[in-house]
Amino acid sequence: MSHDFLQINDLRVSFPTDDGVVRAVSGLTLSVGRGETLAIVGESGSGKSVTAQAIMGLLNPLATEIDGRILLDGVDLLACDPEHRRSMRGSAMAMIFQDPLSSLHPFYRVGDQLIEAVRIHQDVTKKEARTQAIDGLRRVGIPDPERRVDDYPHQLSGGMRQRVMIAMALINGPQLLIADEPTTALDVTVQAQITDLMMDLQQQTGTTMIVITHDLGVVAEMADHVCVMYGGRVVEYGTTDAVYYRPSMPYTRGLLASVPRLDGAYDEHLDPIPGNPPSLIRPPSGCVFHPRCREREAVPGDLCSTVEPDLVTAGPDHRARCHLLTEGTP
Amino acid sequence: MVRFRRGAVIAATAAAASLVLAACGGSGGGSSEGGGEEGGTLTILSSAEQLLTLDPQVVYTGEDLAFLGATIQRSLTAYQVAPGDAEGTTLVPDMATDTGTPSEDATSWSFTLRDGITWEDGSPVTCADVAYGTSRQFDTGLAEGGPVYAVTYLDIPTNEDGSSQYLGPVDGTGQELFDSAVTCSEDNKTITFNLNQPVPDFNYTVTLGFSPVPAGMTTGEEYANKPMSNGPYKIQEYTKGPGGKLVLVRNENWSKDSDPYRLALPDSWVVNFGIEETVGEQRVMQSSGEDATAMVQSLTTASLPVVFEDAQYEGRRIDAFDAYTIYAALNTEKLPDEKVRQAIGAALDREALMLNAGGTYAGDYADGAVKPNIGIDYAPTGLWETLLGAEVPPTGDPELAKKLLSEAGVSNLEVTLDYGQTEDNDKAAAIWVESLARAGITVKPNPIERGQYYGVVFENPNEIMLGGWGPDWPNASTVLPPLFVQGWNLSRVNDEAFAAKVKEASQEVDREKQATMWHELSKEAAQKMWIVPTRFGRDQRLAGTKVGPIFSWAAYGSYPYPIMYATQ
Amino acid sequence: MAAYIIRRVLIMLLLLLLLTLIVFVLFSLLPADVARLTCGKICTDQTIELNRIRLGLDKSVFEQYWLFLSALFVGRTYGIGDGAIVCEAPCLGWSFTKSEPVLELILQRLPTTIFLALGAFVLFLVGGVLLGVYSALKRGGWQDRTITSVALIGYSLPSFFFGLVVIYFVIIRWQVLPFPQYEHPWDDPVQFLQTMILPWLVLAILYAAFYTRLTRSQMLETLGEDYIRTARAKGLPERTVIRKHALRAGLTPIVTAAGLDLAGLLGGAIILEAVFSLPGLGGLAISSVVNPDQAILVGITLVTATFIIVANLIVDILYAVIDPRVRVA
Repeated sequence: MSHDFLQINDLRVSFPTDDGVVRAVSGLTLSVGRGETLAIVGESGSGKSVTAQAIMGLLNPLATEIDGRILLDGVDLLACDPEHRRSMRGSAMAMIFQDPLSSLHPFYRVGDQLIEAVRIHQDVTKKEARTQAIDGLRRVGIPDPERRVDDYPHQLSGGMRQRVMIAMALINGPQLLIADEPTTALDVTVQAQITDLMMDLQQQTGTTMIVITHDLGVVAEMADHVCVMYGGRVVEYGTTDAVYYRPSMPYTRGLLASVPRLDGAYDEHLDPIPGNPPSLIRPPSGCVFHPRCREREAVPGDLCSTVEPDLVTAGPDHRARCHLLTEGTP
Repeated sequence: MVRFRRGAVIAATAAAASLVLAACGGSGGGSSEGGGEEGGTLTILSSAEQLLTLDPQVVYTGEDLAFLGATIQRSLTAYQVAPGDAEGTTLVPDMATDTGTPSEDATSWSFTLRDGITWEDGSPVTCADVAYGTSRQFDTGLAEGGPVYAVTYLDIPTNEDGSSQYLGPVDGTGQELFDSAVTCSEDNKTITFNLNQPVPDFNYTVTLGFSPVPAGMTTGEEYANKPMSNGPYKIQEYTKGPGGKLVLVRNENWSKDSDPYRLALPDSWVVNFGIEETVGEQRVMQSSGEDATAMVQSLTTASLPVVFEDAQYEGRRIDAFDAYTIYAALNTEKLPDEKVRQAIGAALDREALMLNAGGTYAGDYADGAVKPNIGIDYAPTGLWETLLGAEVPPTGDPELAKKLLSEAGVSNLEVTLDYGQTEDNDKAAAIWVESLARAGITVKPNPIERGQYYGVVFENPNEIMLGGWGPDWPNASTVLPPLFVQGWNLSRVNDEAFAAKVKEASQEVDREKQATMWHELSKEAAQKMWIVPTRFGRDQRLAGTKVGPIFSWAAYGSYPYPIMYATQ
Repeated sequence: MAAYIIRRVLIMLLLLLLLTLIVFVLFSLLPADVARLTCGKICTDQTIELNRIRLGLDKSVFEQYWLFLSALFVGRTYGIGDGAIVCEAPCLGWSFTKSEPVLELILQRLPTTIFLALGAFVLFLVGGVLLGVYSALKRGGWQDRTITSVALIGYSLPSFFFGLVVIYFVIIRWQVLPFPQYEHPWDDPVQFLQTMILPWLVLAILYAAFYTRLTRSQMLETLGEDYIRTARAKGLPERTVIRKHALRAGLTPIVTAAGLDLAGLLGGAIILEAVFSLPGLGGLAISSVVNPDQAILVGITLVTATFIIVANLIVDILYAVIDPRVRVA
């Protein structure tokens, strides 16, 4: 899979704390093809945001241990020096965050924040940068951008702010865009607009995109591939169709059952997965999901609680981490 | 009453009096001492913001009288500068050629000025200048607090309310009355004071507030900051407050010939104001660099053990009596029975009071109103040994007190104790309450705002009032009469026989005989327990390694300023 | 913005007026009888009464207040005839214990206090903020732990004691500097610096401790903000992130504290002024309490309060400059 644009091999991220080492990501391997959209889904604490930040290099090096390899277009991000890494942020790769209000600096005009982003990576005058900023705002559908460019974040609506964030992320034409819950903090009516905007822009620019979300509706609409994370591990990976229609891991099935389906097949009652996410300091033995798994009876013996299953093929371009696939009787 | 500047004691005694002693004869002051070097600068590190005043008619603090007298303000007579209580309180001539000539009945005194005494501008100091200075004592526009013996003693008619008919040189009302009371000779050299009563020690009186001021100079309150000098130094700079200083430099117009009294050895004197107490004393203790010629006029309680137990400070530290006798006045109008008053005195734990005041550095146990450093007028009264019929230990004798009370037929005695409120006095009041309770006497403490204390107790006295008194000059005439006849009679003593004897003693011209009379009167006052004397106050100070000579000048309880020098 | 400032200034003037009234009435209620205290040396009931009239104390408190206020603009004459004392406008009252106009007394000492406060202010603010930022960036490291503990010690030192210790060692023991003898900087700049350096440092160390702690906690809080992550995600160098994004956002509480501290220093460095023998307002205030002088106390209270109110105004304006969200309010 060397042709893949982004390739992550055996990524391990842990945070030493007073209570013990938090293993936020444990041996994550996945790849995204150029121009594709990958959705990473999972509960909070599943390691999806940490993975995104590890790719961006936003984790505090003093408080984090990172192992493995992250190759972006063949460049090993974890091996290159911090200054090079920094220069790639905002240009080669960019990121959009969940809450646009808190993610924009409240004391600076949005224009100045955009201009700042331009001028770190491009050797242009302030005036040219301002033109770019206005263009960027126009491109994300902000009306009257010449005026809005001088607004402060608190003067904009939530949807407008997220558009500003998107404009800021795209302003240097990144090859990789990571969107961490881009619509979660927004009004429902605005969510679809932002999703559409992102898809439109991706079409225009061909940017590779990673969307982190727990909103399976967004996934269905945007993603080519889906990666389901649980307890810091990939538990299922495949094309969006494969994962949606043939979920091969009980956790994925649980997730799908817990949300209204966008394909029309509404479950009238939501079906949340009982139990709590696993401890990342002392994860459960065997399969990390087994304490909450409804289908473990289908696996003979105490395999689920003693042996961690491998990620095995569940179909074409579809893998999952479950003893059911090898030992069970579906 | 000369006032002394010192935290706790002053707080307790506020407007109390001051000190001096008498003795005649004795020749020139410091000049005979010798041993000093000329030149250099002597520095006084003062925690005060300023000198209270530089006005010769207002200055009344012992230390300031000594310092200003030594440097810029001469007077007709002065005290010999020498160690020892008698030697340091001996009267000697200053501007006058001798210590004054009284008329036979001492109702008039004459002094003749030496030749060659000048002001700092070179003009001569005349009899008229002395008269003018004296007349300023009558000036109601001057700041309060100065001595007013001219008002008391000069033969000038008074109004019905007792105020003088002369209102001072600025107002001018009654000037002719003053001019006939104070006269100058033809040559303007001899001044004669006509008095309204015999005052055998008037030549001591003239050390207070009788210094000359250039005649006719309109001098209101502003004179307090820039007086004209007639001494060996003159004011170069005077700024008040922290960082401020008084700088005295040589007065070129002072002639040594006219002034055998002052040695005038250092080239200049500097008083630095607003130096934090502990900083000042640490600098003098360290005594390095310029601080070797510096001195402090007091020490904080905390540094006393260090200074007085470490041999390195020997020879530059002073521990001596200050001017004050600390006492409690017993109001004879409310406590008319002598035995009841004696019972109060006997019950009191004077040792606890002494410890509260700072222990041995605070002073010695007092046996009367008159203090040993007054000179010949002091003799032990035997108050605590025999006068109460038994020896009373410093901790008090409650049994004796109970006995005295029962003899007086008094039980369940309740008294109120007035005092100016300070932290120390609050504790002292508690000691009074506890120690008198042992004899069955109930004491109710009555703290009074300090600034108003004496105003209140003179108007509305309770049974017991804390106070302090120091003589104005070294004669018990400035102690026994004011305390027990008139002037500062907190005890409201009205004893005609005693008053008559006091008057007799006051007017006795034979000094030795007078002293013996005072001894008897002091003993009588002690026995009658009009006051409970608790402490003869002490005072400590320290000078740098290059300051000399170091001793306490008994006349003022101060440094011997007129003969001090800086070693090079 | 202009309207905002104008409105604030008007409110400030009103506050000052109210404050003068309160201070004036409060001091009038004190039991000290000024007429008696200042009546000269031979005091009879009659002279006290005359003095009372001369001082205007026979009038009601509110009449006196009016006289006080009008004196600010047209001056005031105490007494009549030759002995009258004229206090020219702007007259903040007349000190009868020092025989000088209160305003002059205060103005003589104000520069020292202002220099002391300003010098220390610059030192402790710059020092405290730099150390605080450094400490926050090295969070948990030995540098952070050292700075935090030293700051705690500085914070808890009593200024009187600390000042004395410094004087004892630096001046008396080691003789590194001469004993402080204040001169105005325009008279003798070298002497001025020699005198001020120690009180500045002492004050700075005492206060810097607080600012180090404040800055550190502010920085730590701010560094966890989403917009800091955004700034990093943009590819900003860490220095720019700290300086331009984190520090500015963490600045608001520091500005508040600093503004009030500066104003407080003008009336509050009394103890250090005493220890270092500086001729500032502190000494004047103390002496006016010891030898009661109501006029000076009222004057100092007003001047100090004015500084505090003005400082508050400046803080509020700075707030608006720093944080655009405040401007709409």
